[in-house]
Parts: sequence; C-alpha cells; structure tokens
Amino acid sequence: MGWNILGGDMSKAKGRSKMKKTKIKIDYTKCGDKGGIDPRECTICLKVCDPCVFLMHSVIGAEEEDPNDPQVWRITAVWPSVCMRCMACVEACPEQAITVKW
Amino acid sequence: MCQWCMKHGAGKKWYLNSKNYFADQIAPENEMREYLEEQWKNMENLFIRKIKGFSSVGLGYKMKMPIIGRVLRAAAEGMIHSEKQHRNPVRADGHFGQAIPLEEAKLIMSELAAEPIIENYCLCRYMQRGTKECCCINFGVLSEIIEKIPRYIPKDRVVRIDRETAMERLEEHNKKGYIASVWFQPVPYINAICSCESPECGGLRLRTSFDLNAFYKAEYIIQLDQDKCQGCKQCVSMCQFGALRYIPSQKRVIVDYDKCFGCGVCRHACNNDALKLIPREEFPGWDGTY
Ligand code: SF4
Ligand code: SF4
Ligand code: SF4
Ligand code: SF4
Repeated sequence: MGWNILGGDMSKAKGRSKMKKTKIKIDYTKCGDKGGIDPRECTICLKVCDPCVFLMHSVIGAEEEDPNDPQVWRITAVWPSVCMRCMACVEACPEQAITVKW
Repeated sequence: MCQWCMKHGAGKKWYLNSKNYFADQIAPENEMREYLEEQWKNMENLFIRKIKGFSSVGLGYKMKMPIIGRVLRAAAEGMIHSEKQHRNPVRADGHFGQAIPLEEAKLIMSELAAEPIIENYCLCRYMQRGTKECCCINFGVLSEIIEKIPRYIPKDRVVRIDRETAMERLEEHNKKGYIASVWFQPVPYINAICSCESPECGGLRLRTSFDLNAFYKAEYIIQLDQDKCQGCKQCVSMCQFGALRYIPSQKRVIVDYDKCFGCGVCRHACNNDALKLIPREEFPGWDGTY
C-alpha cells in the first residue's frame, strides 16, 4: 500500500493508508518447479495484471545443464504493494495456483 | 547536467562522453565480460535474490517501515549507484539509466556506440509481462554476451544490425510510445539503449513505485504552447506517466511537470507543433530535478 503505480506517495489518500498488506501466493505444485506446469508456457497472470505485480524467473539454485539456458522457472508476486486487488489473476489462472488475501 | 554528468561527462552529458563507450578504457576486458555474463545469465532473478538477507520482494512494504525502511533505501541506492571495484553482478550493482529524447538516442547510435550492435528481446517485458518483444539495442562487449543467451535472441531475424538500422528501429519504437533510455552497466560503462514501457521496465518500476533512482528523468522537460494546442487529445495517450491531461473547460491539455520524464514521445502525436522539449536547466522550477 501507499505507492501508486505511476509514482507518488498515496498514503495520504483517504482509505488507502489504513489498508492491510496484500498477500499473494503461488502454489508451486500447480505452477512452477514443485511439479506444476511450466509458467513460460502460460504467462497469463503476467498478462492480466495491470500493475505487473508478477515476475517470471528461473529458480535460484536449480540444477541446470546450461546456465545460459535455464529450464526451471516459477512466478513470484514480487511487488505486492502495487496490487490493485482486482482479482484478475485469481480468475484467469488456469491452474488455480494464485491466492490473493489481505 | 546531473551528478553523473559531473562525474563522467568530461564537461558534457555523461552519455555524450565517448570514453564511456569503450569497455577496455574502463576496466580490464575479462573483468568486464565476467561481470556482464553473470549479470545477464541471472537477470530475471535480480529482484528476488537475497543479499545480506534482503530481497526486493515486497519492497514497497519494507520501505514503509520506520528505520528499516530508511536503511533499505540507502542500501538499495548504494547498490544501484555503486562504483566500487568488486561489484556484485547478480544484483546488477552499478546499473542504472536515464530517459533520452529520440534525437540523442540516434546520435549515440550513429557516432558513439561500440560495435557489434544487436537488437534483442526486452528482458523486462519478458519477466514482468511474459511477452517477447525485440526492441533493446545493446552494443560493444555486451552484444557478444547476450548473443549466447537463447531466451533473449530471436531465431527468425538478424540480430546484429548496422547503425542505420538501429536508428530506424529506435524511431519506430519511439513513435509507438516507448521511451528511449540509455544505460550504465556498470557505471561508467555504457552499452545499451532501450525502448521502455512502464510498469514492465525494472528501472522505471524502482523509480515510479519506490522513488529509487535506478532511472533518471531526461535532461529535458516538455513545454506546451497553450496557444497552439487545439485540444485534439492525441498526445494524452502517448504519455506513460500521466503527465498530460485534457480539460474540457479550456479545450486544451494541461501538463503535470512533476510527472514529466522528458522522454518527448508525446511530440510525435501533435500535428500543431504545440509540444517541444526544452533543457531541464532552462525551466526555472524544474532545474536539477532528475
Ligand atoms: S489482484 Fe489484480 S492487481 Fe493484484 S496481483 Fe492479481 S491481477 Fe495483479
Ligand atoms: S496464470 Fe497461473 S498457471 Fe499461468 S503462469 Fe500464472 S500462476 Fe502459472
Ligand atoms: S496533440 Fe498537440 S494539439 Fe493535440 S491536445 Fe496535444 S498538445 Fe494539443
Ligand atoms: S509529457 Fe513528458 S513524460 Fe509525458 S510523453 Fe511528453 S515528454 Fe514524455
């Protein structure tokens, strides 16, 4: 909370300052390196999230044959403070892997 | 001119100093290669990697915490602007950029950029939007490194391009509304001109959401000629920062100078010659606000 995607401290805006932290979780058994689908084949959450809360990245420490061409990927909700709570990601995820709570 | 011009501009703007384009004049070539290889192999991990117990995940909340927030801000900016000898490539220490108008982006491509020049997929757009768009121009030693990383290299087109083509491509991107930006990587070595989109761009994210100077506003700022503006609204949709807004009562646009990055892309939309870029230092209220 507190930061507008276009910049500027929004904490003085009424209502916003009292809002709780947004918690966004990805279930990696459904999407990612713990048995889920490869997010690179989907990318839907990245596309539907207007403020770009999600990051698609290779998994640190995964065993890779070619470090220039990593094959183990997952999604992390890296910028939860800019989440608009629109729920587009939760609705669009074909694996029901995303939860958004506050 | 900003602090980086003072330090690395030799009397000019930092990105017009030709010395900054030659890797071997800045550091031993093998060191530079090693740094860039490590950085680019791991680039999508930049924000999630823990260094001294701290990653950027949830940075907005962390920076709101009293004391810790201030410590984090100082640490993050210290890393972004680091000029230390042993910088950490996986945190991209010393990597930051600035918006530039199309004219200067073209000047860099025609006279200053080192060869070979490549055009590759934008990594920010890939990691944050899952889209592969070929719009980042890299040059010099960095080109040879990126060429070896399959996910950034389009298979269906020529990757190495000549100066003319690079200039044409930058113009295409700029007219679409992408912002030209030039990058230190690591400071003071310059090896990339990107065509950025917000909020995908990692540098713009740090600046616009958390006010960290990973991305500076241009040496310029927009100037609107109120008499020439016909109120057609075309420019409004070009501005990525919401700095332009149409007001029905006056039938013209108004400018929020605080939001203007001086990228100049709004100019492409105006058929009435109402929008011009002027040097930031000539705009009394906004001199020095990079
Ligand atoms: S709820 Fe909306 S804004 Fe928040 S992460 Fe999901 S898609 Fe993005
Ligand atoms: S939408 Fe769901 S399945 Fe698709 S990449 Fe995102 S988390 Fe994975
Ligand atoms: S494009 Fe030009 S004429 Fe049209 S609203 Fe913008 S400044 Fe005014
Ligand atoms: S108003 Fe400023 S930030 Fe917006 S498009 Fe024009 S020059 Fe760029």
